[in-house]
Amino acid sequence: MVQYIIAGLVLGGIYAISSSGLVVTYESSGILNFAFGSIAFFIARLYYFLNIQHNMGITVSAVLSLVVAAPALGILLYFALFRFLRLSSSLVKVVATLGLSVALPAVATTLFGNISILVAPGLAPQPVHVFMVAGVPITMDQVIVYISVILTVVVGGLVLRFTEVGLRVRAMVDSPAMTSLSGTNPVRVSVGVWAVSTFFAGLAGILAAPIIGLDSQHFTLLVAAAFAAVVAARLRSIPIAVMVSFAMGIATSLIQYYLPSSSVWTSRMITAVPFLFIAIFLVYNLILRRDLSDSTKVGSALDAAIEPHGQGVLESSEAAVLDASMGFIARYSGPIVVAIIAMVLPFLMSGVWLTLLVQAYALGIVFLAITLVTGEGGMIWLCQITFAGIGGLWTAQLATDYHWPVLLAVLAGGLIALPVGLLVGFLTIRLGGLYVALITLTFALLMESLYFTQGRFSNGGLGVNVLRPSFATSDRAFAYVCLFVFILVALFVVNLRRSTTGMALDAVRSSEPGARTLGISVVQMKIVVAGLAALLAGIGGGMLVVAQTAAQPVNYSTFLGVVWLAVVVSIGIRSSIAALVAGITFLVFPQLVTTYLPTAWSQIPVILFGLGAIGVAKFPQGTVEQNGEKFRRILLKQAKKRSDKKELALTSPQGEAT
Amino acid sequence: MSADDQVLVGRSITKRFGGLVALNDVSIEVPKRSIVGLVGPNGAGKSTLFGCLSGLTRPEGGSVMLNGRDVTRTKPQKRARLGMARTFQQPELFTGLTVREHIVLAHRVRFERRRLWSDMVGPRSIMKPPASETEAVDAIIELLEIERLASMPVTALPLGSTRLVEVARALACAPDVLLLDEPLSGLDVNESEALARALVKVVTEAERDLSLLLVEHDVATVLAISKKIYVLDFGQLIASGTPDEIRSSDIVRAAYLGDDAVSETAAD
Repeated sequence: MVQYIIAGLVLGGIYAISSSGLVVTYESSGILNFAFGSIAFFIARLYYFLNIQHNMGITVSAVLSLVVAAPALGILLYFALFRFLRLSSSLVKVVATLGLSVALPAVATTLFGNISILVAPGLAPQPVHVFMVAGVPITMDQVIVYISVILTVVVGGLVLRFTEVGLRVRAMVDSPAMTSLSGTNPVRVSVGVWAVSTFFAGLAGILAAPIIGLDSQHFTLLVAAAFAAVVAARLRSIPIAVMVSFAMGIATSLIQYYLPSSSVWTSRMITAVPFLFIAIFLVYNLILRRDLSDSTKVGSALDAAIEPHGQGVLESSEAAVLDASMGFIARYSGPIVVAIIAMVLPFLMSGVWLTLLVQAYALGIVFLAITLVTGEGGMIWLCQITFAGIGGLWTAQLATDYHWPVLLAVLAGGLIALPVGLLVGFLTIRLGGLYVALITLTFALLMESLYFTQGRFSNGGLGVNVLRPSFATSDRAFAYVCLFVFILVALFVVNLRRSTTGMALDAVRSSEPGARTLGISVVQMKIVVAGLAALLAGIGGGMLVVAQTAAQPVNYSTFLGVVWLAVVVSIGIRSSIAALVAGITFLVFPQLVTTYLPTAWSQIPVILFGLGAIGVAKFPQGTVEQNGEKFRRILLKQAKKRSDKKELALTSPQGEAT
Repeated sequence: MSADDQVLVGRSITKRFGGLVALNDVSIEVPKRSIVGLVGPNGAGKSTLFGCLSGLTRPEGGSVMLNGRDVTRTKPQKRARLGMARTFQQPELFTGLTVREHIVLAHRVRFERRRLWSDMVGPRSIMKPPASETEAVDAIIELLEIERLASMPVTALPLGSTRLVEVARALACAPDVLLLDEPLSGLDVNESEALARALVKVVTEAERDLSLLLVEHDVATVLAISKKIYVLDFGQLIASGTPDEIRSSDIVRAAYLGDDAVSETAAD
């Protein structure tokens, strides 16, 4: 028992380092770093690469990875990414850091080799020395964790609270511009914060590797736990984050003590621990009816004036002026062209490409749901894949085990996802954007490990087979069914966007106080959008399962959902066309790489998807909007030239006469 | 004056932020069809009082009556439907909408509430809006002289124009009482005169039944157009009365300029 508590304290200590690292960076930069886990993995993988693959000593490897590489990575990321994010919207911040979290593990695999690592050593020399304290064995690894926790959490907290450096960091939170006016270089402070933050991440990663295994998937659990602590700390309080971290570590350990280690429920319960903590916190807040805003308004008026919202806003307003002056054809030329291409493609393709195209069209429907909830509703939901999973898995159940007509089963799958969406919407409705992102992420992890792992869905790892409707069994025929459903859903979403509902959603998204004093109920609008998006994602998931002719629970991992969001946002979160393009990109592009490029490049698509999302930091509208605008601008210029010529021809004789 | 003549009444409103008393037992009355001014130095509690009256801030004590009905515990969106509108000191506009769409949305929320939901499934968004809506929207645009802004997205507007849009949006709700939080700040002299004229016009117009509660730093304008004025300082109501009474009040001068400065200002 005591031994389990000691192990729990070790796990809790690693959570504590992670969560306090997250809180410090959030406090000082306004960015909640969703890539923390990936950075931790990257540095831990580098340590393994140096220590084991290249036989460098523990000290040399540790110094190289922690003291050299980790801060260097932090500084690099600051200059390449984080400095652009300060005054961005929550969505852009979340997506850009998520993009990083997608790309980094793939980069690590590409750089350090794709090998399966069974046991990862920690910082203690092998074989690990075991101390006996009052009859209880404590390993050297555990001692190192304790020392690290005390050093980072206690010393870090004291530095931040009581020293000159801490004062400067805290001043940065309020306004870098004002800080620079008072004689402190804000860039130097930011660089310092990010360097320290990646050091924290690296340390947590190296310490965690022997316990949770050196696998990027396992690191998501570490991050989920750290996020739970951060949520409970209301994003700001380091002491609370640390206490909750230890509580979670001990809870996890006690579950291992009380439940039999062979039971599937043990591993499921362990993954559920972070979510249980979040659930307690949410219910507590619901009871107290406290509003939780993340008040991401970092920076003073001066900062906003020096660094206006950037090109994005100006360009989008220019685009709106442009749109207003354009005719129907010019305005809808993009969607029409893409629709025609989408209709022709199934005829041009065959074999594996056609199979992928069918799935791409079905995936496009799920992506439409993402554009609805995040693009229109402004809610950063990271669990859309969960709704697709519910829809898809239940479609297979109903169609195959209960013999329903398959398209009816698809609809029913969507209807089963609907109340789940409403529930998540209801639980998160009063929370700020970052909380919503964090909670939906942990919810997705919970569903992935607790619900999707049921025997009825996995069917012994085989999944449940689904037959396509008898009138469209071939890939080509079913591609058109998917495209038809996509167009139906897209028309619905486009209509919604343009309707009074869409205007009210815009109101809710851009200013809640403004919307409320106008008489619009923010809660109603958000819940309805949440429900609709869950329904559509469920239907999309169902269509995807029918396209794949099998329902596999492993296809709905939370991590994949994050990649989905990254792809959609980088292509265009407020465009239906972008949803289709994103679907095709997501499925066809990796196949292109595996077919035509050497296997060493296999991680390239994932890296590019991640980089695309990072690019959102600079181009928040996404590529489709960007290029669509350019395209329309050219059309408009042409039209203008033509009309100018006409005018010239009409007016010039008069000009000569006078 | 009997209670029936008041469109908005705040009684003994108290609001604390931690140890700071932002409002202490403040009472305020807005009679029907009139302009009431609320002035006070920075940090006097004006915006907090607005928050309490419009429901975005919940006061610790006191009550708010709207058209004779107790709305102290009513949500802001419900108050809007009962006839209250407001603008914000920092404009709270909708970034994806044009100026005209702001007014259209406000009009529909007030008069065709069903469309918030029914439009989602129907093709009404591509049909021509009803004539009554177009008329009402055009009237507001004309009144505030913002014709040339109408088709612009609000993100492209300078601060002065965004204030006009806020007023336009609030007017489209056809409120009985409109709370204006510093509508003139950020406007140049011409713009602010034009807006002041328009405000007087909406209150005196026969077909509207509107009162204004106006928070403003530009005391001269407030004195010029208000029927009654309240003066707040450090969360306390220190004076109230007609513009003439306020002009001659020593307490008000002391609050604005400090006790020593009172005699000096007489010379200005």
